[in-house]
Amino acid sequence: MTHGHLWDRLLEAKSRLEPVQSKYRVLFEDPTAPDEPAKVLVPDPNWMACALAGGILPPINTYQRDRDVPDGEPKEHPYAEPIDAMTEEEAIEYLVMKDIDPAVWRDYQGNRTILKIVPVELIPSDRSFRNAWRVVQ
Amino acid sequence: MSTLTVSNISDATTTVGTSYVVNGSAKAWANFNQIGTQSIRDSFNISSITDTLTGSSSFGVSSSFSNTNAEVTGGSTYINNNWRFSPRSRLTATSTIEFQVANSAQTLADADQNSFSAHGDLA
Repeated sequence: MTHGHLWDRLLEAKSRLEPVQSKYRVLFEDPTAPDEPAKVLVPDPNWMACALAGGILPPINTYQRDRDVPDGEPKEHPYAEPIDAMTEEEAIEYLVMKDIDPAVWRDYQGNRTILKIVPVELIPSDRSFRNAWRVVQ
Repeated sequence: MSTLTVSNISDATTTVGTSYVVNGSAKAWANFNQIGTQSIRDSFNISSITDTLTGSSSFGVSSSFSNTNAEVTGGSTYINNNWRFSPRSRLTATSTIEFQVANSAQTLADADQNSFSAHGDLA
């Protein structure tokens, strides 16, 4: 295989790509812990640079299949063929499926809106009441 | 990218196996801020930071560890108040690192200078 291990590709990418600060944040609540405050996912700038460049990150479905692989067993995503460049919006959707539990973005069937992709300006910078944050309905 | 395949590295005096270098390298690290909107200043092998609570952050790992026994070491300071925290940091899954900062009263608290590195075997 010519594309090697994902970790090696990330290492090479960090040496040549400028970090990209995303203008989006993902606001979500955990339906299995309804008393917990809303969480805010922020894309890593180096990861976003890799997503926008293409040829580095594996297909998202390899991460999803690897969720079911027991610890210590070989995983698919480090050796999968890299995908092409994504737009920033596609990269955010990819990240939702990679780093947020499927119980939030796939399985939830309640009436509350529990996940929103919002511009960074809509996230409060005052953290005085951080542990009371909820997703606005 | 070229690959150099060698078993040992030597400076003419000391020789070490390349496995020492590979196994001893941090496989993931991050420097980040919890004040205001949580954000990553710089990192490697991290896909995202999630602000989960006051003083609490969770990180997605791009290239997963093979198991959750990897070692995670972290440190935190809050420069304005000259506080120094000992955070709790650990792998909660092969692709998730949890980082929590508590103040001297053992209450979760945000800090502006945080960092960790994780060593272990990659998947």
